[in-house]
Amino acid sequence: MTTVEVAADVDVEVVGRTPRQLFWLRFKKDRAAIAGGIVIILLIFLALFGGSLAERISGHPPNEPYSNMTDDFGIPKGPNADFWFGADASGRDLFVRTMYGARTSLLVGIVASGLAVAIGTTIGVMAGFFGKWADTTLSRGADVMLAVPYLLISIGIVAACSTTKEGCLHGWLQPGLSIVILVIVLFSWPYTARVIRGNTLSLKQKEFVEASRSVGAGSLRIIGGDILPNLVAPIIVLATLLIPQNILFEAALSYLGLGVPPDQASWGQILADASGLYDVAWWLMLFPGAFLVVTTLAFNLLGDGLRDALDVRTDR
Amino acid sequence: MRVQPTKRRFGFSIAVLVAVAALTAVLVAAASAEPNGKAAKGGTYRVGWESSFGWTNSFDPTGEYLANAFAIYSNLMLRNLVQFNHVEGAKGNIVVPDLATSVPRPTNGGRTYTFKLKNGVRWGPPLNRAITSQDVKYAIERLAKPKNGAQYGFYFNVIQGLQAYGKGESKSISGVKTPNAKTIVFTLSKPAGDFPFRLTMGAAAPMPKEVAGCFDGKPGLYGRYVVASGPYMIEGSDDMDASSCKTLKPISGYDGKTTLTLVRNPNYRASTDSRKARESNPDSYEFTVDTNIDDIYNKIGAGELEDAYATASPKVFREYTVNASKRKYLHSNYADGTYYITMNLTQPPFDDVHVRRAMNWVMDRQALRKAWGGPVAGDIGEHILPNAMLLGKLNNFAPFKTPGDRGSIAKARAEMKLSKYANSNGVCSAKECKNVLLITDVRAVDKATLPVVQNGASKLGITFTVRSVNGAYPVIQTTSRNVAISNRPRWFKDYADPSTFVDPLFYGGNIIPTGNTNYALVGLKASQAASLGIKGSINNVPSIDKLADRCQALIGNPRITCYAGIDRVLTRDIAPWIPYMSAKTVTILGPTVTKWDFDQSTGFTSLAHVAVKS
Repeated sequence: MTTVEVAADVDVEVVGRTPRQLFWLRFKKDRAAIAGGIVIILLIFLALFGGSLAERISGHPPNEPYSNMTDDFGIPKGPNADFWFGADASGRDLFVRTMYGARTSLLVGIVASGLAVAIGTTIGVMAGFFGKWADTTLSRGADVMLAVPYLLISIGIVAACSTTKEGCLHGWLQPGLSIVILVIVLFSWPYTARVIRGNTLSLKQKEFVEASRSVGAGSLRIIGGDILPNLVAPIIVLATLLIPQNILFEAALSYLGLGVPPDQASWGQILADASGLYDVAWWLMLFPGAFLVVTTLAFNLLGDGLRDALDVRTDR
Repeated sequence: MRVQPTKRRFGFSIAVLVAVAALTAVLVAAASAEPNGKAAKGGTYRVGWESSFGWTNSFDPTGEYLANAFAIYSNLMLRNLVQFNHVEGAKGNIVVPDLATSVPRPTNGGRTYTFKLKNGVRWGPPLNRAITSQDVKYAIERLAKPKNGAQYGFYFNVIQGLQAYGKGESKSISGVKTPNAKTIVFTLSKPAGDFPFRLTMGAAAPMPKEVAGCFDGKPGLYGRYVVASGPYMIEGSDDMDASSCKTLKPISGYDGKTTLTLVRNPNYRASTDSRKARESNPDSYEFTVDTNIDDIYNKIGAGELEDAYATASPKVFREYTVNASKRKYLHSNYADGTYYITMNLTQPPFDDVHVRRAMNWVMDRQALRKAWGGPVAGDIGEHILPNAMLLGKLNNFAPFKTPGDRGSIAKARAEMKLSKYANSNGVCSAKECKNVLLITDVRAVDKATLPVVQNGASKLGITFTVRSVNGAYPVIQTTSRNVAISNRPRWFKDYADPSTFVDPLFYGGNIIPTGNTNYALVGLKASQAASLGIKGSINNVPSIDKLADRCQALIGNPRITCYAGIDRVLTRDIAPWIPYMSAKTVTILGPTVTKWDFDQSTGFTSLAHVAVKS
């Protein structure tokens, strides 16, 4: 018979960890999320420098048509030593345009998502915290926006603003990127507002909020000091999940001819141009499509990883 | 093809010229050849129609302005006083008698035309009665009233008293008399050398008042009740009860949206018609809308369709050109149309003729044509009017010809040096050349031509603010938008007369605030600018109005020579356009088609001369 002796004198050191350390411990175990993050860093680099770098390497400006890159019928030619991704229907270098397209897609995705999250957070917090008529008004407003047929409205806005040099609202709103961002923000914020409102409703019942209130803290102080810091995790997660959605939204708008001007490269625009030629020019669909898939996948993986790391209740 | 009203003054008699023209027409008409191929009666000729019918007035002949509708009316359903033989080439553009016994010689100084109707021509079911001069008169009365939506009614304003009747100021049109059931006399307020051409259009075909009258003031509604006078009628016409307006029901063979089926009109007598004009071989025609253009051409290849009203893409051109076994199914015919880039004479830097000429020199016309599919889609456009419409008088006129049609930077910069905007290198560095408003469309072909335009202009220092619009025409047709340049336009004749290019596209008197087709604003007077919302260089805009007035009063060869002169002035001296392609209609046929010809008058398949395996 054996006995187990427990050493009563072993010192067990209890190490205190901050929430940030706990987050990082969980996050770094998620290899998919790490890979997503790395890809996003590379994409940001690509967006900043990829276009001009590709232009310099190839010697092909993004809007220069090369007649030798279309056949006698105007059908583009495929990849070769000079045109790595082949040419588009105008004979322009697809490699250069795909690189420049990264800038457009990421710019739209990040800026539009940032604005949508900011607006959604503000409205969600106000609706959740103040309740009563404020909640009714703001929540119903969000519901109305969710019910609006966004593509029809987008078509209307783009049509109204795209016919003059000045754009609309006395030139404040210019066709192209700014309209695309506006349209995306207009229809993206309600999702954030709904989630944030729910979180705020829960948070305002917490003891630390009651404590603040009992010592005489005002609403703004409670929102700024107690509510918002506890919303950081869901906001980050929402933003990272919204970015790929909005990149696809931009692609969809461009595909419908409502996106950026045709002389500005975007992945959606290139895919739209490929729609009538995909069976004779596979490269038009493959390269921008692959970049689009990789980008949305990377943001989604990162978003999932952040959500898992920031919210232990969803631990796998 | 939309054209705006012409406002002219004519002051002299042209009787002798009228006689020469009439004689020429008769001689050439008599010489018209029999169309090629073997004709076999029977079968159904099936046509796939891209996206939607796209009618401009729901198939009501009074207002319908779609070229495809003109083809169906004139080849198959409706007979006019005069018509065309629906064949290819110059002979297809000659006016020949249809309901009338002859093309009359005008009298009264070119202002009176008297037509005699043939005997034995009857309306199709359900009317079954003889067609009379009253039916022609009613058609003219119907188009005279704005409430009936006659979209090209302005062509008939030249008939004396027509406008007064349209405004309700008189009870009849003083310039239209019907002394008996077989005679109709038109009196014009001024000579119009192309008046017989105008009578070939669908709105001038006779109309039965007992049916069409039920839809007065309801533009488009008659489209589902059209009674045939030609060899084919809408299937189910014989089931229509025309005893009163209340008993009328839409004809079953046309659902208004996706299918139009025509069958033989039992009352049509070929002996009253010319086989040179209509062979009427198939037993029926089916026009079916298909939103998938690839599907249309796949069905044609599989023998499930014979033809298409669709714009074949470059890949289809390539398939049917490169593949030897398919080559015989592709037909490419001159369509009497010009594709061009328009520049606004009031908007800097295009208010300077040297800039416009430099743009003509620098543009890579070869690349622009490639965007449409290359040589199969058309010839390089060297000047404004199609060569066929000028009877070849300007075949060798190419003022901006460059090697390979690739454009010439050297010649462009040499021209540009003469401009007020350019520096000594022939490059514009002025602010007027930066961010110039360019309107384009979202169509694939416009996206493909845009970089070519941008690239060419950039060689001269001109950059654009590009606005891509889904449906660019309404924008460039609104004068207050002050659009500087657009790569969207193309223009086809309404009928085979050069005035259908010159009047709507360059006549200053025809500039209107919306729906304007004189995009370049040639002939704009400073006094017009404010009411049109035009801001820019409104003084000293060049005009061809006087020249056009002179040409409009002529007929025959002098008329063509006159319009050729206008083309020279416009293309070389004013340069409001960069014409880059003289368009062809590309037709892909199914293997079941045994006989085919091209209808020069409509620019499509000659439906009157096709035959199909039955």
